[in-house]
Amino acid sequence: MTRRHTDRRQFLKAGAAASALAVASPALLRGALAQGADLAPYKSAGIDWQQFSGETITVAVIPASYFDNLIALAPQFQALTGINVRFEKIPPAQIRQKAVIDLTSKTGTYATHAADPMYYSLYAANKWVEPLDAYLNDKALTDAAWFKFDDIIAGWRTANSLDGKLYGVPYDGEVTVQVYRKDLYDAKGLKPADDLTSFVSNAAALHAPDNRVWGTALRGVAGAGQNVYIYSSIFREFGGNWFKDGKLTVNGAEAEAALGWYVDLMKKYAPAAASNWNWPDIADAFSQGTVASYIDAHSSASVVNNAEKSKVIGKVAYARWPMGPSGKRVSSIWNWGFPINAALPDKRKKATWLFIQWAASAETQIRTSYAFDGPAKRSGVNRTSVWQDPAYTKLMDGFGDNFVKATMEALQSDTDVDWRPRVPQWPAIGDTVATAIQSALSGQATVKAALDEAQRRVEPMMRG
Amino acid sequence: MSGSATTSEAVSGVALAAGPNSLDRAKDRKERRFAAALLAPAFLALLATTTFPLMFLVWTSTFRMDLAMPFADGFVGLRNYSDLLADPRFWSSLSVSLIYTASTVVLQVALGLALALLVMDLKRSQGLFRVIAILPVVLSPAVVGMIWRTFMLAPEFGIIDYLAINAGLGSKNWLGDPTLAMISVIVIHTWQWTPFAFMVLLASLASLPEDIYEAARLDRASAWQRFVRITLPLLRPAIVMVVIMRTMVALTAFAAIFTVTAGGPGTATEILNLYAYRKSFTELSIGYGSALAVALLIVTLLISGGLFALRRAK
Repeated sequence: MTRRHTDRRQFLKAGAAASALAVASPALLRGALAQGADLAPYKSAGIDWQQFSGETITVAVIPASYFDNLIALAPQFQALTGINVRFEKIPPAQIRQKAVIDLTSKTGTYATHAADPMYYSLYAANKWVEPLDAYLNDKALTDAAWFKFDDIIAGWRTANSLDGKLYGVPYDGEVTVQVYRKDLYDAKGLKPADDLTSFVSNAAALHAPDNRVWGTALRGVAGAGQNVYIYSSIFREFGGNWFKDGKLTVNGAEAEAALGWYVDLMKKYAPAAASNWNWPDIADAFSQGTVASYIDAHSSASVVNNAEKSKVIGKVAYARWPMGPSGKRVSSIWNWGFPINAALPDKRKKATWLFIQWAASAETQIRTSYAFDGPAKRSGVNRTSVWQDPAYTKLMDGFGDNFVKATMEALQSDTDVDWRPRVPQWPAIGDTVATAIQSALSGQATVKAALDEAQRRVEPMMRG
Repeated sequence: MSGSATTSEAVSGVALAAGPNSLDRAKDRKERRFAAALLAPAFLALLATTTFPLMFLVWTSTFRMDLAMPFADGFVGLRNYSDLLADPRFWSSLSVSLIYTASTVVLQVALGLALALLVMDLKRSQGLFRVIAILPVVLSPAVVGMIWRTFMLAPEFGIIDYLAINAGLGSKNWLGDPTLAMISVIVIHTWQWTPFAFMVLLASLASLPEDIYEAARLDRASAWQRFVRITLPLLRPAIVMVVIMRTMVALTAFAAIFTVTAGGPGTATEILNLYAYRKSFTELSIGYGSALAVALLIVTLLISGGLFALRRAK
């Protein structure tokens, strides 16, 4: 065991160095591109962008088109600030662990990384990352009138704040919505579900596995960011509350009803393989026409509309979450934000802040989305102003009916920051709930037994 | 350490032969120091990369170390171990580990031996068989896991599922059903590592003396009698060696199960190693995770100790 861990860490470091090199070399080639770029919109900010010239920072991101677009623009940032930035791509399944290992060992390898909003409690409890308000309010570092922090979508901002302190600035985000086949719904005279009951009846009406069309699919694979991501919304819609009398509770009548609904839906109307599916698998199946509806991130629309693979382009429409028995719609929201590693020397922290400010600014958000010179346009820009920009909404409308409206409404009215319990123990609790959901789905345990077992495991985790 | 003992014995042997005078003794000391200097780098490297982390693991296992609750950290003595004995998930993961190990090792040896006996009589294509057989062994378990998970076992799309449908068994959720998932991971491990048993046993079969068989045939011993009375006893050292090596690896298997089921569905295929990993790196309870790792170490030591004793016996 010991040997494995040591080897693994060393191996990861070597791998990290190698991948950093691989990322860096095309960045050098693009240097020429930066010289022609117009930096005037940035220079209009009343700060000295060059004050930390010569610093080098490493940024960990996931391999995704929205970060690729940012990496492509990095030479512009280097030209603007004189700060060298190296990117390292880490698959989403490993980025949390690698970040935690870096933060806990205080090596300061990653000046900032694409962070899971559910991890800020853990980071803050260990003082691994900096509260960002001081940077935001420092006139030498931030031009408030230029940066317009409040323009960033409120749901994502609050998700990255704890007790009124900001820990990460959202770069790209998502919100979950209903995605359905307009043509199939119209053929049967169905409307997008307004509540969970009609979501099930819609799925039942279109379920025809013999013709290779399954009614629906939700995430089945176990993980705090996988099945729990969707289950949490269902749990809250059934009136569930993570804290009962101040005690974190994952079982009880509402939880049983919610998990029962999920298991029933998955068993009756989803492909059997969906019990191991994450969102890309669902979106792939939908794009091949084998799934009639699903509920997942609005950003999966880019997979569903992939011109090379999808067979359903032009037949897709979107709607907000169906309402639960409690009368609430609860959407799961998510964003990749950038925190500042507290183990860095002061000057590098500030250099990192300049990077974060650049990446999250309206100008960069535009340059990486509709103004980006490449095929992938981002669907998760962080700013309300861009979402109201006709140049952007016109592009987004191409994803299908009601896309922009459903996304915006979900972001504004269907979510609150506590749709998942924001506690430092979340990684453990999320994993435990994920296992319980999968146990119930696979029939290893009944719904009640699985949840009670999860509760029994969660209790000692919360004890100090 | 044994290296240094042997060297110094040899050195003092030389010194004794030359006669015990002070010059020789000085020379002897010098030689010994030289031997120690030669040994030191490797010894220190070994100490730093294996012994120290192991001691550190045991040391860590006596602490409460929860990254989620840094304020509660501290020395707890053996409490992680008493918690562990009362943790049903520890016992269930231990039993999954034992079932996994026992069934994969038995299958590997049985199938490996059968294949070796079959191929032994092939004179011309034996070389080709060996090359084909070695292929799964050289693949990374993570790659094997991904291949099985996506190409072989996926319901509706995988090859195995396709065969099952055509055989009239219907589509099965190979990795979504607790029992089928366990069978699947056992089959995958067996598929990958049977060739190892096959190669070792084939080599050892080839070295068996022909004259004993000839004598047996003259005494009109049947094929079964020859197999049970001659082949098996002669192969025993090789079989025991394969069992020991495969057992130690199976007990600490990780990559293939991690990529295929990640311990799921639920905890149906969660071996002890995987549970320790999840406790340490997903739940971030480093102290308790270390205690689980130490428990796995003890189990592995006990089982391989037992097998070594078996090897010496008789």
